[in-house]
Amino acid sequence: MIHINVRLHTILQRQTNQGLIDKVEVSLPIGSTMQDLLDYLRVELSPDALLLVINGIVADEETRLKDNDIINLMPAISGGESERLYF
Amino acid sequence: MEQRDFYKVYRVNMRTHDISQEPLPQSWERLGGRALLARILLDEVPPTCEPLGPFNKLIFAPGLLVGYSLSSCDRISIGTKSPLTGGIKESNAGGRTGFQLMQLGIRALIIEGKPDEEGWWLLHVDAQGAKFVEADEFVGKGVYETADALLERYGRKVAIALIGQGGEMQLSSAGIQHLDKDGVPSRISARGGVGAVMGSKGLKAIIFDGATGEKPPVADPKAFQAARKKYTQAVLNHPQSKVYHDYGTAAMTMMCQSLGSLPTRNFSNGQFEKAEFISGEYMRKIQLERDDECEVSHACMSGCVIQSSNVYGGPDGKVIVSPLEYETIGLMGSNLGIGDLDVIARMNREVNDLGLDSIEIGAALGVAAEAGLMDWGDGDRAMALIEEIRAGSPLGRILGSGASVTGKVFNIERVPAVKNQAMSAYDPRAIKGTGVTYATSPQGADHTCGLTIRAKVDHLDPKGKVDLSRGSQISMAGYDSLGACIFAGFGFSLVPEVISEFLNSRYGWDVEPSILKVLGKESLKLERAFNLRAGFTAADDRLPEWMTREPLPPHDAVFDVPGSELDMLFDW
Repeated sequence: MIHINVRLHTILQRQTNQGLIDKVEVSLPIGSTMQDLLDYLRVELSPDALLLVINGIVADEETRLKDNDIINLMPAISGGESERLYF
Repeated sequence: MEQRDFYKVYRVNMRTHDISQEPLPQSWERLGGRALLARILLDEVPPTCEPLGPFNKLIFAPGLLVGYSLSSCDRISIGTKSPLTGGIKESNAGGRTGFQLMQLGIRALIIEGKPDEEGWWLLHVDAQGAKFVEADEFVGKGVYETADALLERYGRKVAIALIGQGGEMQLSSAGIQHLDKDGVPSRISARGGVGAVMGSKGLKAIIFDGATGEKPPVADPKAFQAARKKYTQAVLNHPQSKVYHDYGTAAMTMMCQSLGSLPTRNFSNGQFEKAEFISGEYMRKIQLERDDECEVSHACMSGCVIQSSNVYGGPDGKVIVSPLEYETIGLMGSNLGIGDLDVIARMNREVNDLGLDSIEIGAALGVAAEAGLMDWGDGDRAMALIEEIRAGSPLGRILGSGASVTGKVFNIERVPAVKNQAMSAYDPRAIKGTGVTYATSPQGADHTCGLTIRAKVDHLDPKGKVDLSRGSQISMAGYDSLGACIFAGFGFSLVPEVISEFLNSRYGWDVEPSILKVLGKESLKLERAFNLRAGFTAADDRLPEWMTREPLPPHDAVFDVPGSELDMLFDW
């Protein structure tokens, strides 16, 4: 298994009976990808609408995860390519 | 009323006090906001003129979509030759000004000349025309007190554009403030010293009484309403609208922290150990707890459904400043080693009252701290330095002249500025597309000219960043010409055809959906032409050299997009 630290931002944070969840530690099988993590966390936004950052570097849903990775998940922008904005 | 009869140009001469109304020239008709400003400046202002002299002009131009309370589409653009950069400048803002100018049919208000004699003036504009009113009683007064007194005199509904003591002193970091929908003068055309130009013309405030005017004519009301419905729905449906509604621009703090691009201690680090305490998430939490006058979602313009703004309250729940935005948090917070939102909010209030750009002052204070004028994280000292500006002391005037001047005076090389304009709160070594925008934008380093942070790319890799920045710069220049807030782009990105539908149904035109890019390219082309004639060269389209040498933790990144590629940005 690999152990991943996930930090959730803005609307991806969850209000629960135990308080606000903005960080989670996740254990996944070796060879798991970012998509596996998103499935595990049941993130409702499509990967297209997310910015996936592994150890400070932007990744995609195919990227394989490693032990002790720090992952930041945040909503990104989506929409028509020609009008896409990046702020 | 016919389109041609409704729209006009107002021309006001500050030396002779002549005021005239002119029909909108044919070549200006299809331009608005930033694109129209670039056209007029190139047509009428000698690019080599002294920015604070009689040949420079100060122009107010609402964007093409302004006047109908479309969500996030009522922005005002102000243009001039910048005393900070020495080049062309467009600085836009929300609030009431754009909307009310459009109700008066004014597509461009051109203020020209310079008074021969001392003295300060108000300009009052309504449907009957414009008139001068003496303003000496407001001299030396801050923006909040002046706005209150003017609202008392002219009625709570008017729009006002005004300057503070910073503009009166003609400091290069001085902006022009506008009232928000609640009458608070905190919507600021902040960048590039537009307030200094207004001060040089002896103009303390302009009052627009839009209620005496009328709604602009619409060529095809049915089609306009259909477009409006489609657009509003798209804005509401976009997932990002929810983020900005709940967290505002402060959501950016943790994104920059994650990517290692959060300006920290005068751009010497990309991560700040107290980032969490200046984050949007934390701000929302304490504001909801404090309740009372605090608002975590607030509209700066009527009709806005995103409401990314806020009213920030202190521990007692009483308002300190409205709004508190990410750029201020970055430049006056992490950039100064300050990890306390209450301290940042109080500094923000103070620079607002003086009518100054919080980005430029935050960057100048960072340079000052590096020079030993304050300790990192010392909010009291930072506030005392801002008070030096209020006092007009030599040190205050240096800081108020911006980061570059401060760096020169105190012999600090690490100045985060391009074309003498301070960078906003994204370290360009870790977000290289934004670095390309900072380097090449005709406006100088600017967060509204084409950020790239949300692009799904390796931000540390220099490859492809010129293309990325170019696309973003063109789109942003287009939105600035429409009077659209950066966040209106959420809606437009889902239904891009609605832009041409709005323009065609309102003005009776037949433009294609590509109009956004057409306006954007036109603006950039004209702006670049102005700067070239003002004497700019490739050397002005570079990041400061130290950013190419000094690695930025935690990624140890330097800015390495080659100059030869930067020089191709405008080849399209």
